[in-house]
Amino acid sequence: MDDKAAGPGREKLAAAREEAVGLREKAADACAGTVDTREREIRAAGMTQGASDDQISMLRQANAQLVIATIEAHKLAEQVQTAKTELEHLAHHDVLTGLPNRTLMNDRLAQALALARRSGKQLAVLFMDLDRFKHINDSLGHTVGDQLLQSVSQRLLGCVRQSDTISRQGGDEFVTLLPDIDHPEDAALSAQKMLMTIALPHLIDQHDLHIGASIGISIYPEDGLDAETLIKHADTAMFHAKDNGRNTYAFFEQDMTARAIARQSIEASLRLALERQEFVLYYQPKINLLSGTIVGIEALVRWQHPQRGLLEPAEFVPIAEDCGLILPIGRWVLREACLQARAWQDAGLPLITIAVNTSALEFRAGDFLEYLRATLDESRLEPCYLELELTESILMRDAASADSVLHSLADLGVKLAVDDFGTGYSSLSYLRQFPINTLKIDQSFVNEMTRNPDDATIVSAVISMGKSLRQRVIAEGVETAEQVAFLLAQHCDEGQGYFFGRPVGAAALAILLQAGI
Amino acid sequence: METRDPPRRQLIERLMAQHPEKVADAAIDLWEQMATQIISIVGEDGFNSLYARSVFLAQQTFPWLTASSLSQQTDQRFAELKKRLEGQTPSQAREANSLLLLTFTGILAELIGEPLTTRILGSAWGDDASTSTSKEFKHE
Repeated sequence: MDDKAAGPGREKLAAAREEAVGLREKAADACAGTVDTREREIRAAGMTQGASDDQISMLRQANAQLVIATIEAHKLAEQVQTAKTELEHLAHHDVLTGLPNRTLMNDRLAQALALARRSGKQLAVLFMDLDRFKHINDSLGHTVGDQLLQSVSQRLLGCVRQSDTISRQGGDEFVTLLPDIDHPEDAALSAQKMLMTIALPHLIDQHDLHIGASIGISIYPEDGLDAETLIKHADTAMFHAKDNGRNTYAFFEQDMTARAIARQSIEASLRLALERQEFVLYYQPKINLLSGTIVGIEALVRWQHPQRGLLEPAEFVPIAEDCGLILPIGRWVLREACLQARAWQDAGLPLITIAVNTSALEFRAGDFLEYLRATLDESRLEPCYLELELTESILMRDAASADSVLHSLADLGVKLAVDDFGTGYSSLSYLRQFPINTLKIDQSFVNEMTRNPDDATIVSAVISMGKSLRQRVIAEGVETAEQVAFLLAQHCDEGQGYFFGRPVGAAALAILLQAGI
Repeated sequence: METRDPPRRQLIERLMAQHPEKVADAAIDLWEQMATQIISIVGEDGFNSLYARSVFLAQQTFPWLTASSLSQQTDQRFAELKKRLEGQTPSQAREANSLLLLTFTGILAELIGEPLTTRILGSAWGDDASTSTSKEFKHE
């Protein structure tokens, strides 16, 4: 073999081999590179999958939170709306009865007036006040009183049309708007229907309660052109209905305004009467029916009005009770009576008991006992010569509290009498428990007892009960010899009334006492 | 006649009417199918919140529906609802569950829109649900 020829061949071979190695290395490199990429891709894909699961989980959590937050927001919005609706309702309705209140009534009345003005129609406003509701509240308590108001409200709703409005003005006052009437008689019919419906007994807390109402009616446009005037005039007419015997209705008349103004004038001058010392006491004797002698006296307040002369209690006491002036007036009466009784005793006149009427406001005053003790000390009147006359309603309202005060009074030595007995609501159990000395039979029974067998039965029953409970019984309003005979036959202890003597001034009574009549 | 009822109402009523004898079982099937889909989107808490709200609203019509929380166990999630439905006549149970489903899907639709709700219901209750509601959407 030729070396030269063989030499280049070997070189070529070697070169080819190197190239092949190079190619293999490149191929190997290339191969290794491919593997790296795939690994990276797989790794990346794995990472992406992991990230995607996390994101889905996070999205799901975020969605959950969004759903929850949105639903909570809905709930809150609903609560806010409910509260707003309730507030709106509260602002326009009476909480106790659910009836529209004064604000809503004024609004509806204003709308009704605008409509009536445009259409040339009439409308009626009825102002209703329950008769002697205060007695029920005082004797049976506010809970029963409130239930009675609810019962009355429900019945009133049944008396009117859907388009009418009944509102509670406060207390026991209701105002009804009849926005579309053809004649005033339509309003009278509605009033009559209301009175009849209310008069049916209300069964409340095991009591069969009977209540009446007085209604005043004003008509647009005759009695007023605006809401305020119409309500004011209906209110005035209501007072007129009360004066006419209650449980009735009355249409407004112009001359009623004068009487309403007179009432306001009394209230204003009552405030000055105490300062001006315009009150005076009159004294009415109480007579022992068997002996015919004076055994006690009742002090009765009169008002020496500078313009109107001597006024009876009926003309100013209800107004004084309404405006709270009965408290200072009552205290003045108590002090004056004690001083007078002591003065008679000092003058050597017979020792008799002086009775004083005590109002609910005085009896419930926190310092009632304190004031009484101070007055007795000041006047030097022995407590056994003072008798306090309290009505059933004062005693029976919150009887437990009354019991405590009554026992304190009895411990002090003051005598106690139940005034106007038979007209209120008495619990016989409390009547036995209270340290009561005297029952005063109301004059309404005494007046009729010789004519009406029912009244005679009541008077006999009260006398028997008083005897059984070892209480003195005194008949009020005795005016005839026939009544005295009846009372004596029933063994009644004492009598008081015009038959024995009208209330007289202190000097006149001193003469009677001196005479020993 | 134009109606304001959402197409979901007819769908739900139709699905509920398919098993007149086994109302409670049919109802729970629908709830479970729907729960699976909705939980995958808004999670358990989101679903529970929607469900509780729906029961609260439906209680005003059917006070016997209880608002107690759903069972933590997935297979017992609607045990309380089933018990309540079984205590009623089939007609009452059907009516109550229809209202509950309608209320639930209504709230969902308020949150995410009617079309998406329809798609979810389609996934939950099958193509029939999706197509029928879609058709009804077009007739709306």
